[in-house]
Amino acid sequence: MRSSLAMRLLFAVVVLMIVLPILFPFIWMLMSSFKTQVDIVAWPPRLFFSPTLQNYERVFREQNFLKYFINSAIIGISAVALSLLMGLPAAFSIARFGQKRLSVFILVARLMPGISFLMPWYIIFSRLKLMDSYIALVLSHMLITLPIIVWIMATYFESVPLEIEESAMVDGATRQRAFLAVVLPVAGPGIVTSVTLSFIFSWNNFMFSQVLSMERTRTLPIAIYNFVSYAEVDWGAVMAAAVAIMAPAILLTMVFQKYVVKGLTMGAVKG
Amino acid sequence: MKSKFVLLIMVLSVLAVGAQQKEIRVLLANHPYGDLLKAAIPEYEKATGVKVNVESLQESQLTTKLTTEFATRSSTVDVFMTRPLQEGKMFYKNGWYEPLTDYDFSDYPQNALDVAKFGNKPYLVPLVTEWEVLYYRIDLFRKAGIEVPTNFTELENAAKKLNTADIAGFASRGRGAAAVTQMSSFVYNFGGKYLDKGKAVFDSKEALDAIRYYGRMLNYYGPKGVTNMSWENIMPLFQAGKVAMWTDASVFYGQIVDPTKSQVPAENVGIANFPAGPKGNTPYIVVSWGMAVAKQSKNKALAMDFIKWATSRELAKRGMLANITMARSSVWKDPEVRAKVHPGLIATQEFAAKFGYPYDRPYMSAVGEARDLIGEVIIESINTAGTSANLEKLAREKVQAVNNLLEDTGEFGVF
Amino acid sequence: MSAGKQKGSFVERHLHILFPLPAVTFVVVMMLFPVLYTFFLSFTNWNLTSGMPLTVVFLRSYQRIIQEPRFVAALGRTFSFTLMAVSVETVLGMIIALILNREFKGKGLAKLVMLLPLVSTPVAIGIVWNLFYDPTIGLANFVLTRLGLPRIAWVGSAKTVLPSLALVDIWQWTPMIALILLAGLASLSTEPYESARVDGASEWQIFWHVTLPMVMPTLLTAVILRSIDALKTFDIIYAMTGGGPGYSSETLNIMAFKYSFEYFRMGQASVILVFLFILVLLMSLVIMRLRKSLEL
Repeated sequence: MRSSLAMRLLFAVVVLMIVLPILFPFIWMLMSSFKTQVDIVAWPPRLFFSPTLQNYERVFREQNFLKYFINSAIIGISAVALSLLMGLPAAFSIARFGQKRLSVFILVARLMPGISFLMPWYIIFSRLKLMDSYIALVLSHMLITLPIIVWIMATYFESVPLEIEESAMVDGATRQRAFLAVVLPVAGPGIVTSVTLSFIFSWNNFMFSQVLSMERTRTLPIAIYNFVSYAEVDWGAVMAAAVAIMAPAILLTMVFQKYVVKGLTMGAVKG
Repeated sequence: MKSKFVLLIMVLSVLAVGAQQKEIRVLLANHPYGDLLKAAIPEYEKATGVKVNVESLQESQLTTKLTTEFATRSSTVDVFMTRPLQEGKMFYKNGWYEPLTDYDFSDYPQNALDVAKFGNKPYLVPLVTEWEVLYYRIDLFRKAGIEVPTNFTELENAAKKLNTADIAGFASRGRGAAAVTQMSSFVYNFGGKYLDKGKAVFDSKEALDAIRYYGRMLNYYGPKGVTNMSWENIMPLFQAGKVAMWTDASVFYGQIVDPTKSQVPAENVGIANFPAGPKGNTPYIVVSWGMAVAKQSKNKALAMDFIKWATSRELAKRGMLANITMARSSVWKDPEVRAKVHPGLIATQEFAAKFGYPYDRPYMSAVGEARDLIGEVIIESINTAGTSANLEKLAREKVQAVNNLLEDTGEFGVF
Repeated sequence: MSAGKQKGSFVERHLHILFPLPAVTFVVVMMLFPVLYTFFLSFTNWNLTSGMPLTVVFLRSYQRIIQEPRFVAALGRTFSFTLMAVSVETVLGMIIALILNREFKGKGLAKLVMLLPLVSTPVAIGIVWNLFYDPTIGLANFVLTRLGLPRIAWVGSAKTVLPSLALVDIWQWTPMIALILLAGLASLSTEPYESARVDGASEWQIFWHVTLPMVMPTLLTAVILRSIDALKTFDIIYAMTGGGPGYSSETLNIMAFKYSFEYFRMGQASVILVFLFILVLLMSLVIMRLRKSLEL
């Protein structure tokens, strides 16, 4: 039964009706980031205007966003790397030895409201003079990245056939050796999924950095928030900052689309 | 082996220099005067050889950071900028300010010193003063053929005339806690107060009249969504030409006449004294920022030296020339300053300094919470255009809650 | 040589302990200890700013928080925000998934677009929506006026703030539910459909009697996961309204944040945290139970 042209057209319209509202805020953000303040406050809102780069200039030159960019990257990458180091063996063990309780324990870390650890951290870190230190921020962000990595990788390792590591073990390798030499190399897609997602969540985190970071280690989400709260809402520059923050996560998503979808949906789909 | 030895020598020499180099740590606010100091500090370092480690923080983050460091006794701060009315009482009570007994305070007005002193000792140096003014659009007034209002009746009539679909006749902060400071002058001019003799009294008839008036003005003539607006939302509206009158702190003058930020030409922006109320005219004039030495500082001599420099007459003059309204009296009389600073600022300052009231918020340790509580009453009034039958009851409840806060910190009935 | 081997076999014998050990230690130190510390603090009246030492007051902080009208209101708001957001997300997500559950050109692109809100920084999203909602220059009111409707204040008024915030959450998270359901639908076997069609069932009957029961496990898990996250919503509310106007969008999370980091009332803040904690724990237990019963 081939659908008629009219049906196909109707379907296309329906799909557009789904996609456009999702996309629209991004388009508007992007457009506004190239508008002058005059164009932004214009009424009725302007669709056509002569674009300017002054907002981006202001964000990077005057507001020093590059520094916060680097901070976000340092913290995100360190948190993800350390979490991989700890999380991969744990995920493997959960998958191989069926440690259900352990996986639940780590899942709880994902479900708990962040603020219930944040307050004690705040007290402890300030006693240890670790406020505004990369150590404190990386440790806190690891509580975001580690559960994601363990959760995704445990599921992934379960899908890796036992035979490959068993055949390595028949050849005389220990299980830990087989894990490193045989299992990890085939776990690439799983690692890509978990790394991409956990990095994005660390990149987007606001609450932990808002409390634990100050001037030195401030990350991007805090920078944009502060920018709004005392830069007397310079909308164009704020939108440029928003574009700059979202761009890396969106680019990562575009490159690793397949993996991101899998990572985000598998927890629920798998029974 | 040899390279290791060289390395060791290098490390040791660095340590030795580090030990000799005198250092202090200074926390500044993201405020025009903080920026000015930050830029001037290299001069100080060059003149004294003391290394100054500066950090600039947004005002609420500054309070948070200082509170945390002091309360957990992990502080290495020597000198810091501080908001006397927001955190002064709490910091003093916790013993976080070092008394400044050998600082010369003779160049400061008495009302500024009132908030710097606890008992009979001064604990902080007043830096910047702010007072409430009325900003208005000269062109719109001319077009409507009316005069600049000098009292609340005229203010309301003018707002009514100037209000159009596109332009709000009158704006002032509506976001609860943030509105508390700017509503204070209204409360005073109606004859009310937030606190009196260590007790909350903003449920008095006078205070409620002020709250109702404020609510009516903003509901009828204020910008849409005003209950979510503080100065950072109103200023861009004013700059975009969408507000005819705005009551707020004097510090914003420089920014609303800045042609790179405002679409309203500077010659169309007027600044006038806050209008009088039924009980006279006593707008707030407050020390919004001061500077203090930390009690926990281990370099008190250096810190004292630094604070004397940072609050010196010379730097205060530099501040004035950058349109920062400083607390030192003498700089206001400086001819160079008078030539450069806008006459409207000078005139309103003189008025407020003579007649003003030195608090713009309930002066207590738990200011933040008290402002949230009073803010609820303000929002209820704005939402109902001041007609809420519930307002007395709500105000009474909040007075009780503020009194509880005062009791919690042992300030109830103490003054 | 033999010592090395013995050591190796020790590692091998205890692999199930050694491998997870670093991760578990980390979670215990960074999560379990802090949570226990919070429990302890909830029985004290510690206030960082009062200058008074920490004293154990047992249940007095609980009593004060429970009697605080602000707390009760925040609790109610937390639930109504979650209910508003998640119910709409579920229905919309289901509809979108059903529509997109077929092969068509550009499906990959449509899925990519749906991913974008999920990976965007919530604070930045909130700010973009604030520009939409701006009562004077915002697009939202422009659309309203074009439709002949009066302007509204959106997040600027106590009456409309919660639905306005929920709308942002709906925009951001409906695609998540849709994507999960799409994956769930794709994994279903086609047999029951074919037999239903042979029996002459209508599309609606097929959905109600065939599709829905089959995706139910996926749907339920997605809804509960989403509900837990919605209960904890922080970034968007904090960035857009800070809990205002007044307290009219203050949820438990925001209130706890203010009590901790603005008022420094650590004791009372801990009480709110304990409540939030219990709430999430209960929801999590429901998930675990559900998973178990559905697997059987």
